[in-house]
Amino acid sequence: MIKTRYQGFAENLLFALNIFIIFFLLFGDGIVIPQWLQPAGRMHPLIIHFPIVVLIMAMVLEFFRFKERFSTEKLYQEFTTYLWLTGALFAAITAIMGLFLSKEQGYDGDTVQWHKWFGVTVVFISTLIYWCRSKGWYSQKIARSGAVAAVLCLVVAGHYGADITHGENFILAPVWHPEKKLVPIDKALVFRDVVEPIFENKCNSCHNPNKTKGGLRLTDEKALLKGGKDGKLFVAGQPQLSLLLQRIHMPDGEKKHMPPSGKPQLTADEMNLLYLWIKENADFKKRVIDLPASDSLRVIAANYLKPAEETEEQYDFAAADDKLIKKLNNNYRVIYPLAQNSPALGVNIYNKKTYQPKMLEELSSIKKQVVSLDLNKMPVKDAELKTIAGFENLRILNLNFTDVTGANLKVLSSLKYLRTLSLAGTKLDPQGIKAISDLKSLTKVALWDTGLPENEIAGLQKSNPKIDFIKGFKDDGKPIKLNDPQVKNTAFVITKPVPLELVHPIKGVEIRYTTDGTDPDSVKSMLYKPGVIISQNTNIKAKAYKPGWYGSDVLQVNFYKSTYTPDSISFIVGPNEKYSGDGAKTLIDKDLGGNNFGNGKWIGSQKDLVVYLQFKQPVDLHTVTLNCMRNMGSQIFLPVGIEVWGGKDAAHLKLLSTVKPPAPQKNDPFLVKGMECKLAVSGKLSSLKIIAKPIQNLPVWDPVKKQPGWVFVDEIFLN
Amino acid sequence: MEKDFLEHRLNVNRRRFLSRLSLGLGSMALGSLLIPDLFSGIGSDSEADFVPGIPNFAPKAKRVIYLFQDGAPSQLESFDYKPKLREMMGQELPPSVRGNQILTGMTAQQKSFPLIGSFYDFKQYGESKAWVSDLFPHIGKIADDICIIRSMFTEAINHDPALTFFQTGAQQGNRPSMGSWVSYGLGSENKNLPAFTVLLSKGKGNGQGVYSKLWSNGFLDSIHQGVQFSSGENPVLYLNDQDGIDRRDRRKMLDKLAELNDVSYKEFGDPEISTKIQQYEMAYRMQSAVPEIMDVSKEPDDIVKMYGPDCLVPGTYAANCLLARKLSENGVRFVQLYHQGWDQHSNLPQEMAGQAKDVDQASAALVTDLKQRGLLDETLVIWGGEFGRTNYSQGKLEKANYGRDHHPRCFSIWMAGGGIKPGLVYGESDEFGYNIIKDPVHVHDFHATILNQLGIDHKKLTFKSQGRRYRLTDVAGNVVKGILV
Repeated sequence: MIKTRYQGFAENLLFALNIFIIFFLLFGDGIVIPQWLQPAGRMHPLIIHFPIVVLIMAMVLEFFRFKERFSTEKLYQEFTTYLWLTGALFAAITAIMGLFLSKEQGYDGDTVQWHKWFGVTVVFISTLIYWCRSKGWYSQKIARSGAVAAVLCLVVAGHYGADITHGENFILAPVWHPEKKLVPIDKALVFRDVVEPIFENKCNSCHNPNKTKGGLRLTDEKALLKGGKDGKLFVAGQPQLSLLLQRIHMPDGEKKHMPPSGKPQLTADEMNLLYLWIKENADFKKRVIDLPASDSLRVIAANYLKPAEETEEQYDFAAADDKLIKKLNNNYRVIYPLAQNSPALGVNIYNKKTYQPKMLEELSSIKKQVVSLDLNKMPVKDAELKTIAGFENLRILNLNFTDVTGANLKVLSSLKYLRTLSLAGTKLDPQGIKAISDLKSLTKVALWDTGLPENEIAGLQKSNPKIDFIKGFKDDGKPIKLNDPQVKNTAFVITKPVPLELVHPIKGVEIRYTTDGTDPDSVKSMLYKPGVIISQNTNIKAKAYKPGWYGSDVLQVNFYKSTYTPDSISFIVGPNEKYSGDGAKTLIDKDLGGNNFGNGKWIGSQKDLVVYLQFKQPVDLHTVTLNCMRNMGSQIFLPVGIEVWGGKDAAHLKLLSTVKPPAPQKNDPFLVKGMECKLAVSGKLSSLKIIAKPIQNLPVWDPVKKQPGWVFVDEIFLN
Repeated sequence: MEKDFLEHRLNVNRRRFLSRLSLGLGSMALGSLLIPDLFSGIGSDSEADFVPGIPNFAPKAKRVIYLFQDGAPSQLESFDYKPKLREMMGQELPPSVRGNQILTGMTAQQKSFPLIGSFYDFKQYGESKAWVSDLFPHIGKIADDICIIRSMFTEAINHDPALTFFQTGAQQGNRPSMGSWVSYGLGSENKNLPAFTVLLSKGKGNGQGVYSKLWSNGFLDSIHQGVQFSSGENPVLYLNDQDGIDRRDRRKMLDKLAELNDVSYKEFGDPEISTKIQQYEMAYRMQSAVPEIMDVSKEPDDIVKMYGPDCLVPGTYAANCLLARKLSENGVRFVQLYHQGWDQHSNLPQEMAGQAKDVDQASAALVTDLKQRGLLDETLVIWGGEFGRTNYSQGKLEKANYGRDHHPRCFSIWMAGGGIKPGLVYGESDEFGYNIIKDPVHVHDFHATILNQLGIDHKKLTFKSQGRRYRLTDVAGNVVKGILV
């Protein structure tokens, strides 16, 4: 077969176009179609029909090509070849146009992807077939399966293409309805989109024009207003008189309870919705977003609706000059664009000390662009409201804790877009604030801490039902509990008298305290004043009181006197390695261990703990106190015995005291206690040996048996 | 002769190959004309779309306050009401419910998994009829202002990775914290305060530590690092002048330093130098801004009553909530609180009561306080831990004393303000409170949603480091549309 020049050219072109398509598929993400090329892309849906027809013809001919009758027919063979080439070439051109078109806006999503891939597959298959079909191995079988595969791809690609052009489910739409979609809240009507669906789902199977139980239809407004054979369905605004609600609220077993038992019942939310709808006058036309944001009906209805569709606010003013914005920006006046490509600006002003009215006046060149202005805590006066009124596109204005009184609030009526106005913490003029009705777009006003009386706010709310007036937290007068006093002392083991330092963070609080172990009360206990001196072992219990508040919990602080500090201390029999703290000196470091025996401030041992202390100057010692822990969950017991030996040196020690505390009882609580040993012989001592003995065998009730218990000591006090 | 033929055929093939090749290259060249920056090495997609410091679209929220409950509070004693667990107390968790969930080393060896219901009762609050446990009466009272999500889930089962995941979008440390991303994405509102601040407090419950890696800037510029405000004498470390240096001296020193820095900037052109100058200047301005923020003595009495008297005790959660409001009100983009002590493996009823008492009133007060200042619309408040807790008891089970192990599959958090639908209870768990049966929310989804409210497309907020672009949401995340107003 001799190829013509045209055929060779067309073949080369086909090859080139295929490469171009592959290239496009690989790097398509970054491709930008110039405008002059876009019309070519848009012709894709027009041209597409040509290759479809040509290729289908080619495929049919290909299918029968090896039939004896045709295999020798020159015209048949040549015609098929040219048909293939034409079809593939046009398919490739059309595909490229399609790829161009797909780069325009609005062509993303799965359907476009599928269409793209099947479309280019058609191009590749037809090109491949054209190339292979004259080869020796190209048999009837391959020809037929190739033709079928190509037709299939063509059909699928065509189907997706049609979906894109005409919308999904174009053909079947008249006879097939997919599931109902949720309505966005900003488009929803209370009746149509919230109330009516309840009837549709739960009631209408029995109350429709075909089946009208009780003479009642719930399928349209007119029928609803008419009611059934027992009378009108509801009295607008008076839910308690409404038959509908009586029936749905009857007990379940009742014959007249609706929906009848066995049918799907109303949920609590649904009943609530019907109640609220009737209570709010059973309006058939009201939009959900016209209800105040905190309205119960709106809050519940929102669960049945989709969020408002993303509609970015459109502004009809031009952007300000970047250089101008930059110039006006400084450390205490921040001007920022609301978003990329948005002409709208926000302005925040900070720092009371540097604020001046002219900081607002200077913004006159961008007054059109400012949509949000934050003047929180700035000393803004009423006079500046005039300047603010010039920001004609303002949406949000924060005047919290400023000096405005709102006496001339009327000037703000030029702000026809203002939505949110925050006036918390200002001293508002009850007359001036009435001008708020002139602000037509206003939906939210913060009035907390403005000194406006309750009835004034109620009046405002009544005359401006669309505005949500935020009153904020109000002390209901019920007392709440004070927090505990705090102790500022840092040393609780004292060698000399120290002042007691108690404080409370709340102004006007009285701190009452006792030293005798009883809980303080607000009348008889001593009133704390700075200057109280602690000079001996003292157990302080303190409580805070203030009129209008409940008294606090008890703060308990123990002070320990330790008059003498030995010059050296060492272990004769040392503690467990894990609980050896910083060595023996941990016991005289004046730092108590608290409740956690593992914090390195406690010395712990399962054997007798024996400590040796020495004084350079003999001391007149009367008591030795070991501060011990009991924590039976961790097998920590008070020592079963303490011995104190003393003398003028190590060789002359005599037993001066033995203390044997009572045996432990099951369920003894956690305790940190000073175990005091009174020395039998008073007199000057230079050397001291103290032995603390742990319990040898754990009591029978303890889960860990046949082991010695632990003894833990954090400090030794010598007096 | 045969050789000639062969050569001829080869030549034809070679010629054809070359001509085809040129055609191929030609069409490629044609294609490349349509791609503006194909060979220039500049990325053509997301990065070009992202301008640091400006939102992609108009934001709903300008600021975030994240009340992180560190240690993972139990959802079953807070916001996920499961009466079935009480009925089935002591019975085994059905293996079909547990499925293939891997357990921690702490309960994996446990022979039995006895179900345990909440020790505390639940009540319904507000128009939204949300169930809230008796441990959180104040939060119950603001039920109509918050959105409770009962279908959070995460991928990590231990504290550190789970916490790091929530804070940075990855389980291993080294990525920027969410607050740093927000600072990078939106910049600072108030030039006298850092855009990202951190406040710590600690309850009496069994706790897990928090580490500064959680508020690290990762590979972002160091100005985006979280600045910790502490309760001591120096709330911000190294901010105060040394003894003997007054404001005037400091000013002189800074001016001189800026001159020198300016000289080296002109010489080397390193942008880091001008960043440094700015940072010094901000620190100088912070010296007057911070003491004003930290001073709570001027707060009126009903604020103290609202937050609870502890709000005047520095370092408490209540004080940090009050501080968070003040920082946020002053334009701090991201205030990150951590309250430690929520890891109740044992002694849960008692410990959780203490923790709840720490946070309940102040958390609710923060929302109300923002609302009454008209700021809740533009401030997003988030309350939640790093995962949930198991519906079965860890260790010995008594009605009034039990523990719960870590549970990543399903837990509850709440959000308020910032364009989140108020009075909504989103998502649902099964009757055992173990698996999510409706509207699951992954940590990546959570991040995507927060960024969305701040006006940032989470797919566009990227930063190139070590040869690839990073996102807070990695390569995942969908905005949870169902909770948006």
